[in-house]
Amino acid sequence: MLLSTAEGKMPPSAESESNALLQGTLDLLILRTLALEPMHGWGVAQRIQQISGEVLQIGQGSLYPALHRLEYRGWIKAEWANSENNRRAKFYSLTAAGRKQLKVALKDWDRMANAIAQVLKPAERPA
Amino acid sequence: MMFSWWHRWRAARRNSKSQLEEELAFHVEQMVEANIAAGMTPEAAQRQARIDFGSVEGTRESTYRQRPGWLFETFCQDARYALRGFRRNPAFTATVIATLALGIGATTAVFSVVDPILFRPLPYPHADRLVSVGLTAPILPEEFMLGGSYYVWRDNQKPFEAFTSETGVSECDLTEHNPARISCARVEASFLPTLGIAPMMGRNFLPEEDRPNGPRAALISYGLWQARYGSDPTILNRLITIDGTPTRVVGVLPKSFEMPTLEQADIVVPQALDEAAERKESPDSVMYAFARLKPGISAAQASAALDPVFQYSLSLAPAAFRKEVHLRVRSLRDRQMQDVRLTAWVLLGAVLAVLLIACGNVASLMMARGASRERELAVRSALGASRGRLVRQTLTEALLLSFSGAALGWFLAELLLHFFVALAPAAIPFLDKARLDLRIAGFTILLACLCGAAFGILAAIQRPRPIALVARSTNSGGHAWLRRSMVIAQIAVSMILLSASTLLVRSFWNLHTQNLGIHTHAILTANIALGRQGYDTAQKQMQFFTQAEAALRRLPGVTAVAISDSLPPAGQHRESILNRMISPGRQESSNGTGGMVAWRWVTPQYFHALEIPMEEGQAFTEEQRTSAEHLLILSKLLASRLFPGKNPIGQQIRPGLEDSTYTVVGVAANVKNSGLTGDDEPEYYRLRRNTSEDWGPSSVLILEASLPAQSLAPWIRSEIAHIDPTVPVEIETMKERVSKLADGPRFEAALLGFFSFTGLAMAVVGLYGLTAYIAQRRTQEIGVRMALGADRGNILRLVAWEGVRLIAIGGAIGLAAALAATELLRSLLFEISPRDPAALLGSVLLLAFVALVATLLPARKAMRVDPGVALRCE
Repeated sequence: MLLSTAEGKMPPSAESESNALLQGTLDLLILRTLALEPMHGWGVAQRIQQISGEVLQIGQGSLYPALHRLEYRGWIKAEWANSENNRRAKFYSLTAAGRKQLKVALKDWDRMANAIAQVLKPAERPA
Repeated sequence: MMFSWWHRWRAARRNSKSQLEEELAFHVEQMVEANIAAGMTPEAAQRQARIDFGSVEGTRESTYRQRPGWLFETFCQDARYALRGFRRNPAFTATVIATLALGIGATTAVFSVVDPILFRPLPYPHADRLVSVGLTAPILPEEFMLGGSYYVWRDNQKPFEAFTSETGVSECDLTEHNPARISCARVEASFLPTLGIAPMMGRNFLPEEDRPNGPRAALISYGLWQARYGSDPTILNRLITIDGTPTRVVGVLPKSFEMPTLEQADIVVPQALDEAAERKESPDSVMYAFARLKPGISAAQASAALDPVFQYSLSLAPAAFRKEVHLRVRSLRDRQMQDVRLTAWVLLGAVLAVLLIACGNVASLMMARGASRERELAVRSALGASRGRLVRQTLTEALLLSFSGAALGWFLAELLLHFFVALAPAAIPFLDKARLDLRIAGFTILLACLCGAAFGILAAIQRPRPIALVARSTNSGGHAWLRRSMVIAQIAVSMILLSASTLLVRSFWNLHTQNLGIHTHAILTANIALGRQGYDTAQKQMQFFTQAEAALRRLPGVTAVAISDSLPPAGQHRESILNRMISPGRQESSNGTGGMVAWRWVTPQYFHALEIPMEEGQAFTEEQRTSAEHLLILSKLLASRLFPGKNPIGQQIRPGLEDSTYTVVGVAANVKNSGLTGDDEPEYYRLRRNTSEDWGPSSVLILEASLPAQSLAPWIRSEIAHIDPTVPVEIETMKERVSKLADGPRFEAALLGFFSFTGLAMAVVGLYGLTAYIAQRRTQEIGVRMALGADRGNILRLVAWEGVRLIAIGGAIGLAAALAATELLRSLLFEISPRDPAALLGSVLLLAFVALVATLLPARKAMRVDPGVALRCE
């Protein structure tokens, strides 16, 4: 995320918050999750928690600002529909722009992860 | 991009607050259900879900903040809130806006006047590389070149990319079907390319057009093209008649064109000098040279590089004069504006000082308002408004006020500009062309932002204290020190302004009341410049003027009529070089030029009309006008220079190499003749006889009249029209002429006086406000003191002491600063020292007096406090 911003592939974030890296990661997780199927906020949080083996727990305090931020960016769109237990809920799904963004973000993430792995490797060897 | 904005707004509209509420509620419900599914009781599940979710309000708030335009929304909210507050407190609002309007309006007006002098880019590409080059010598005020030198410099110089010349601007006549007097500039063919100017239409001069007897060509100004030729696109190649000579229009100059000397030029023609003749001949044509520096070379470096050619030019000058000839290379802006730059900075500095005082007052008012609103702010803070939000609220209020002030100030600036022009149109260059345009608007907006931010931040420094929630009293110690230091600063700044303006006003007074050596009352002057077509010989010119003289003599109320070619006290007149004046009764001096000597052609009644007394000998008589002798009257100063200790009467003088020999018949008293502030030059008068050799195309008729000017002027016009209806006449009273010369000093004195009084008034209001505020805050304390036996005098001293301390500190700082600052004014002052004790003492006394009144008024009010009421009021 940081890397991609520095290279100018993405428009710089509207809010220049200090935890740009974390925020970017959360955005990536949400986009990736919504790529599976349209989901409401609760579903997104549950799914991330479940897939990550209960390691990643998304607080509501950051989930909903993130969802709305992504919606305003045009990467996801929202629709009110009935949930599995027949209650009105807001379902988010990926837009075309969101799909493109997900691809870019995933590539960046891979590069980043590789880079970090490269840096960490030599330190592991002597042990 | 368009799509994404549209998308954002649509999404934002969909996500109303209630929908967000519903979305979050759904989440909580899901949590409850999950908890029930995990085996909790419904109550426990509810409870646990709420605990897990945490602050719904916080989440909602931070989610809502993601909305595009959220900042704008809060701004609107703040603005609405601020407007409600302003409506509740109209006195405060009006005071603040009026103060700001005055400050910003005055600053805007002054900025629009000084902008072309200090900041406006010159209308040439890369103007920073354009320089004026030449020699300086006592004969001319600006640097100049002579033909003999110019071509050698042009061919041998190294530091310039291009080097060009012009030979000045003079009046010329368009003698077509509808004759008009306009101004023609004569320039070298390389003139426009060197300045970087291309004609808007057509082409520049060809080399062959810049040779003697070459094809006649002219470029016309945009203004002339519009006004006279109706912006006719077929103007190119048309023949127009300039001074009787058919000339081809080869182009139209761009609208922004101006001569580097700032002279008005309606038509530009090639100077067509004969280069070969110019190189040899002496004395030579006076030329003005301009050059474009090579990139990376400074004016100083260019000056050094020109030394070899300068040495050559020195060798051409008479040996005795060489010491007085210097080389000068300076930027175009310096040549145009050097004399008025100081005035411009002084005015800008003064008006910024006023603005500073105004901002101080507004900040002080905002703080007082903030202190009385502390409880409200504390409540808002307790209800969850963050510190940032409160600061933003204050800043929004400040900006709203400052922009309202700026809008009102814009109108004030318009008024002030009219006033400036009416006051002194010729005070500084471009004054009559000063307009409030977009550039000035940008400056005003910048000013409003700066002011708003400045006093907004000062006011926002106050943090509401939690104690304000419970305290019954709204009194707070809230930053009284800040207000105190602002009042001190305001007094100090007013002190500087006041001293500067007192000096300038006294200097103007000295200028106004000085003895000019001539009588200006009841003198009318009529300036006439004859066209070249109808009056091509000196004989015709003499005939016209003598006819006019006789006609004007017959007018009722006219007691004397004289003709001269120039008039004191302005500095425009003919000049001789003192040490070139040859007389058998005088020893040759080899000591330089000896300086310049002013001289005029006059008819006998000149001395009578202007009441210049004769110190020795006789004035010219009417009979002498027909004599064959050349007669001369010296000024007392010139007589003492030429013939120290001798009787000058009867001496023979040849004023110049080509002049006849004149006989001195009298010595006249000295007359101011180099402008109002210049050092007087020695002067002499040649008798204008009734022979054509003494006459020229332009003269000024001087009338001594017992009738008022406005009733005489139409008669003068009709008499002249009788002789020739096409001759333009310029009628002015002598007083108007003199007053015009004082335009600059009058402008400086009036503006600075106005600014210093505005500044003083605002500073005093600030002081009054602060003292009253402090006195009110101490009402209870005063009540206690009085109950304990303090008498009214004690109370008066208690309250006034505070104010007196501020006055003393501010005054002392101001006086010290003024002593340093007024030194800068030295060159603007006439016959008064920048540290004139009387002026400074006067300023101190005035400031002290007004400031004391401002503290004593609230102090007296405090003294009258009824102790019973004061104690009960808490």
